Amino acid sequence: MSTLIMIDQPAYGAWSGREALDMAFSLAAFDQAASLLFTGAGVTWLKRAQDPGEISQKSVEKNLSAAPIFGIEAILADRSACEKYGLDENALISGVKLVDANEALLGNYDHATFAG
Amino acid sequence: MSDRSEAFTLVITGAPYSSQAPQTALGFARAAVEAGHRIDRIFLYGDGVHLASALCSPPSDETHWPKIWAQFLQENRIPGIACIASALRRGLVNDAEQKRYELPAANLLAPFEIAGLGEWVEGRMRSTRTLYFHAGG
Repeated sequence: MSTLIMIDQPAYGAWSGREALDMAFSLAAFDQAASLLFTGAGVTWLKRAQDPGEISQKSVEKNLSAAPIFGIEAILADRSACEKYGLDENALISGVKLVDANEALLGNYDHATFAG
Repeated sequence: MSDRSEAFTLVITGAPYSSQAPQTALGFARAAVEAGHRIDRIFLYGDGVHLASALCSPPSDETHWPKIWAQFLQENRIPGIACIASALRRGLVNDAEQKRYELPAANLLAPFEIAGLGEWVEGRMRSTRTLYFHAGG
């Protein structure tokens, strides 16, 4: 049973994205296939060299870098959202695969869900 | 039960009194039980954990969503689980967590329990469908 966890909220304006990440890690910890898809404003999670110290938050980059260690199968980003937010491949953290977030992509998974 | 009966895990991520999620989920759960389906468990995640607070005190002419959800769970013997990480962040604790973190009070409404995301993973595996009730907007 493969699951796609989707994050469409920016990293530092809402907690639902962090809680979505926990869901994905939890699936992986129980040996359930899980991938992450960042869409909409959620693609800003993937910006390289984030420094949110001034707003007293921890960088989500560190959380994301743990994804392969936890066994997350893929970190996907919607290509058009990345373009909209001015993020080309050089601006993204390593290990991100650009995709078109459409019906065909979701069809590859048994479950697809948001955290909130 | 017919062959077409389902087993559901319901995940509620919207809080009562700031979203419609708990009410919509309860409407669904009641209809599912009446139709002969099984609810494996309710999993409260994110802001949804507020549904398990024993301290909610809405005005008397408004529906007390934590109480009527608790009653529904008891009547139908359905486990209601609040995610521990979501719960601790938002000030929802049982007696054990009150002691562990030396907090001045515990406020988990019975029969809700506090447990990890593994309960959600297990619910998904044991259910034919897992439905999410988000705050929306």
